[in-house]
Amino acid sequence: MGSGYWLDLGLLPYAPAFAIQKRLFEALTTGRLPATIILQENPPTFTIGRDGSQANILAAPSQLAALGIEVVEVTRGGDVTYHGPGQIVASPLLYLGTVGLNANQYLHRLEDVLIGVLAGYGLSAGKLAGYPGVWLNGSKIGAVGIAVRNGYTFHGLSLNVTVDLMPFDLINPCGVPKMPVTSLARALGRDVPLAEARGWLRRVLGSAFGLELLDISWPDLEASLP
Amino acid sequence: MRWEVKVPPTADGALQVTVRSWNRAVGDTVTQGADLVEAKTEKITLYVTAPADGTLAEITIAAGQKARVGDVIGYVEGDG
Repeated sequence: MGSGYWLDLGLLPYAPAFAIQKRLFEALTTGRLPATIILQENPPTFTIGRDGSQANILAAPSQLAALGIEVVEVTRGGDVTYHGPGQIVASPLLYLGTVGLNANQYLHRLEDVLIGVLAGYGLSAGKLAGYPGVWLNGSKIGAVGIAVRNGYTFHGLSLNVTVDLMPFDLINPCGVPKMPVTSLARALGRDVPLAEARGWLRRVLGSAFGLELLDISWPDLEASLP
Repeated sequence: MRWEVKVPPTADGALQVTVRSWNRAVGDTVTQGADLVEAKTEKITLYVTAPADGTLAEITIAAGQKARVGDVIGYVEGDG
């Protein structure tokens, strides 16, 4: 069992959160950081992955501005998705060689993690051939999208816990028109404390990658970086 | 010395990756470890970095084409 960091950035806009991720990725690849799982929640944001395009955002810029939804082009694989309060975004920064997986196996392992978290809530989610991510009764509840450089991973997964699902109607999620989405709260018909869901995710991620995850704050971690 | 630019073993050997783009052209200077090629499979972006300092000598798999793990997609010439 190795050890790594559990770094919860809290509610932070996408760009500064990714700037932190880039710094940590650099430290990881130069041997100055152990495996680190970055947690974040974003304000309402559409992210366009490297396979995506603005064409999959159906709302006009003026409508997005009125709704307070930011649009950001990002470096993960995949198309367009929505991030917002009540959705957990987790980015494991790992070396694939240590966990003994190739990139595709790692992607599937992240899907397995999401399935494991949902099983903890008594929900039987699964995968859908041809449509990466995690599905519950025909609706997508968790998404994956990763990047790999020299065997090191960044980006990761998202899980809809209590997030407002309406903004998904304003995009073709993952490039799929009218793709149904759901959340843990909707599936259970009750509120779900985000901290509780994060706790499940932490246990399942730690188990999946053989990591004992130790809490660290960004100020403490930043102080240790060159 | 000629250095191979290859699809890294971190991609699934059974999968084809698609080369999305080369961020250098033949004849350009490249720096070891800097991003040289972006390749993809669904939901995975693979950043392939330059194997050595030198010049991008040849592109054998161009943007839009597919390659498998271990395939040589280009060559860098340099002293290493």
